[in-house]
Amino acid sequence: MRIEAIIQPSRFESVKEALHQIGVEGMTVSEVRGHGRQKGHTETYRGREYEVDLPPKIKIEMVLPDNLVDGAVQTILKTARTGKIGDGKIFLSKVDEAIRIRDEERGEGAL
Amino acid sequence: MDQVFETLRATAVGIPSTPFTVLRDFYAEEFARIEREFRASSNGRVATQGRAALLDRVILDLSREFLAPELNDLRKLCLVALGGYGRRELFPHSDVDLMFLWEDASIESRYREGTQAICRALWDLRLRVSPTHRFLSECEKFQPDNPEFNISVLDSRYLEGDRGLFERLRNRALPHMIAGGWSDLLRDLAELTEQRHRKEGDTIFHLEPNLKNSPGGLRDYHVAWWVGLISKMEKAGMWATPEDIWPAKALQDMDKAFEFLAAARCFLHYRQGRHDNALSYELQAAAAARGIGVENGRAIDPAEWMRIYFRHARAVYALCTQLLDETLPAPAKLRGFLGWKSSLLDSGFYVAGTRLSLLEPSGVHEPQRLLDVFRYVAKHGARLSREAEDQIHEALPSIFDSGAALPSLWSNLREILLAPHAAEALRAMHSSGLLVRLFPEFAVIDSLVVRDYYHHYTVDAHSFMAIENIHRLREAEKNWERPFANLFSELEEPELLFLSLLFHDVGKGMPCGDHVAGSLDAIENVFARLDLKPEQADTVRFLIRDHLAMSANLLRRDIFDLETIRVFAEEVGTPERLKLLCLFTYADIRAVNPEALTPWKAQSLWQLYVLTANYLSRSLDEERFHAESGDLQFVDRIFPLVSSTASREELASFLEGLPRRYLFAHSAEEIASHFPMARKLKENNVQLRIDHRRQIYALTLLATDRPFLFAGVSGTLASWGMDIWKAEAFANAAGVVVDTFHFTDPHKTLELNPSELLRLQKSIEDVLTGAISRETLLRGRAGAQSKPQPKVSVPTQIRFDDSSSPHSTLMEIVTQDRPGLLFHLSSTLANFGCNIEVALIDTEGQRALDTFYLTFGGAKLRPDAQEQLRVRLLAEG
Repeated sequence: MRIEAIIQPSRFESVKEALHQIGVEGMTVSEVRGHGRQKGHTETYRGREYEVDLPPKIKIEMVLPDNLVDGAVQTILKTARTGKIGDGKIFLSKVDEAIRIRDEERGEGAL
Repeated sequence: MDQVFETLRATAVGIPSTPFTVLRDFYAEEFARIEREFRASSNGRVATQGRAALLDRVILDLSREFLAPELNDLRKLCLVALGGYGRRELFPHSDVDLMFLWEDASIESRYREGTQAICRALWDLRLRVSPTHRFLSECEKFQPDNPEFNISVLDSRYLEGDRGLFERLRNRALPHMIAGGWSDLLRDLAELTEQRHRKEGDTIFHLEPNLKNSPGGLRDYHVAWWVGLISKMEKAGMWATPEDIWPAKALQDMDKAFEFLAAARCFLHYRQGRHDNALSYELQAAAAARGIGVENGRAIDPAEWMRIYFRHARAVYALCTQLLDETLPAPAKLRGFLGWKSSLLDSGFYVAGTRLSLLEPSGVHEPQRLLDVFRYVAKHGARLSREAEDQIHEALPSIFDSGAALPSLWSNLREILLAPHAAEALRAMHSSGLLVRLFPEFAVIDSLVVRDYYHHYTVDAHSFMAIENIHRLREAEKNWERPFANLFSELEEPELLFLSLLFHDVGKGMPCGDHVAGSLDAIENVFARLDLKPEQADTVRFLIRDHLAMSANLLRRDIFDLETIRVFAEEVGTPERLKLLCLFTYADIRAVNPEALTPWKAQSLWQLYVLTANYLSRSLDEERFHAESGDLQFVDRIFPLVSSTASREELASFLEGLPRRYLFAHSAEEIASHFPMARKLKENNVQLRIDHRRQIYALTLLATDRPFLFAGVSGTLASWGMDIWKAEAFANAAGVVVDTFHFTDPHKTLELNPSELLRLQKSIEDVLTGAISRETLLRGRAGAQSKPQPKVSVPTQIRFDDSSSPHSTLMEIVTQDRPGLLFHLSSTLANFGCNIEVALIDTEGQRALDTFYLTFGGAKLRPDAQEQLRVRLLAEG
């Protein structure tokens, strides 16, 4: 299963640490920008407008064996939540196959 | 091995796999033998020569097998070793560059299959062979599209075949190619080197360097060799030896550097079992434990081992870059200064190409002359020649051990830090030993490797790079760099930022757990040698103490949460400190590694800056001093500095109701000097003081609040032709106004006529007491002192905000700066009936950026009044 989580940058270190503690070690992390309902706004500074309408977010992507997925989702929910608008989203999707490039191992063993 | 194939022919003719198996085993055994010998001796030079000899033997027998049993019979074809193989420096897993040199096409068909068979056999041995086929005539010409080949052929070495053909290559074709293309060859070499150096951050001080490609690595060693080779051939028409082209001391240094680098690279290749030149932390520890490249092969600490590496890399880098500089034309930026021969001669040095040399080494024994060298480097970007660096290094003991008086350190250092090539000058000061002589605190981070996942450079290199990152903002190209470039141009004292960056990490070399605490201890010793004002020292302390605060907020806090911004703004205190901290953070992150400051991070940093800057300007009305709310720490800080009989309660009463920004914007000493002025208001209700620092005048006014007060001062200053670029107006709960105006004197009225300062003060007092009409004063002078036509047109923007303050309406106005603008604005506000509760006046180039907290009849302005005021301000231009 593939987990894609968009979270607040301020929660990233805590989420990463919590995921490590439940045995999730591999993840891909990207610096992204965007908003859902949170929306953003424009700030004026010294007469110039600066858009802050796409707040910074961190995207974490993981492909996990099925037995780890629920734990990882619960961990992210618990650790990334501040209770405010803009806490982010988690998306789950199925993965047909995983192949490790180094030795071409396939399936869960490649994860 | 010489007879491998003959033996095989006799015993196993007709079984093609057998000879190869024997050859493979032979190669493997010999490879293992060389490796064993290396493990015993750690001699990289011998190991690389051994592998080159092994390849020679393999290729000899392959040639006999596939080309001609008697190679002396081979005509019009020869085999040539190129590159590292040609130099007999073949590292355990390096590529093998092999050239088949043909006289012409006449015998190509006869031998083509044989040459292919040789290559296949070598590939089957799992050797990384890069074969090339060339006619002799092709080697005579400079090949503009293939600089790598032009360079690799310089190291050509005869292997097998037609020796006469090879002699013609070495003695005719290549000299001909160099004669026609030497300048292009050098240019290509310089460009390839520059690109490689830039990719590696232009520093030797990588925490995990690449032994081949990092600046100061083996590639630079060879660049220094090729430059000499090409130059010698161009000038003397003959092939050079290292003794011909490198000065004696450099030759010795280079020889030792090669021994070390070759040993380390062999160690890496053997250990990794592949062509891997990256000196990771793990491999540094392993090499140090084995004493690779260390005298007597004794085990040492990895940090000490890396210091040896950096010492050798520094020698290689210095010679490589100097030889390139000496052989290439000086860049345009320096060419102009070469004409200033006489002034340079007076200073005791001269510039040739891009390198600065000393006319008379004894000249730098005079401390100011020594510092002049580095001021010149900082200003113009010239680099010290190796000789000059050595001469300065040798002069230092006689200067510093003699106890001779040093010139004003801060004025010299300040000039160096502010100059565009400050980082280059600081590197040169460090490299020659001067920086540590001046600031022994810096010694602990000399080539210091602090291992973590993110940092790529040693601590000293990181500090210089951070300073360079700020100066590079002068030429900001990317969109996300530009806001920071603007911020840099707004700084009042950028030298304090640079000084903080220089010393912010010295604590990393101290045995204390908290590097910030160590750096703060060290900076106190630095202050003892610099003539900084107390408020300047405070700013530097703040930057060092809080240099991680902005990053921490970015990474660990929600910067869109108002509470985060409020707390952070309170920590920072003033817009000027915020600007300094923002630029510090920008430079510090960017100096961690080339990818550390992503556009995403830079934009997030800028967002945090904007949100905090706006909070600081828009929260003044709420963030005020209240003794009852536990703000007495300010009193504790200021009271000891008050030189009068006043009580703590009186001081607290003066501070009561002043915006906290006032308390942060002024040093305790300044506030302690304002307090007696406030006490004297009972005797004279206008207290005025003008201080002069460099080109800036600072006017401090304390008075009881009254209409047209702000307009009166700004109008008088404008009438005298003064250019107000910054002002603040605050009031305490008792209605005492504390205004500061920073202005310049573009017509030098005060500088040329010092007595006019008293007249200016008198004029202001007269205007405030009503003795002179301010309109009359302004009419008399401003017209004749108008500014030139603006180069950039700034449209007027007026923005009202009722949400930021519970008591006042905040008005932000951006407009074209012009003489008397502040007077016109403040007069219009006063005429409209507004009271200015707080004013923050700033200028950015030709843009005036003014914020007023206004009340009308003691309350906020109603929307219709805001609109009327807007119309009136726009109508009055």
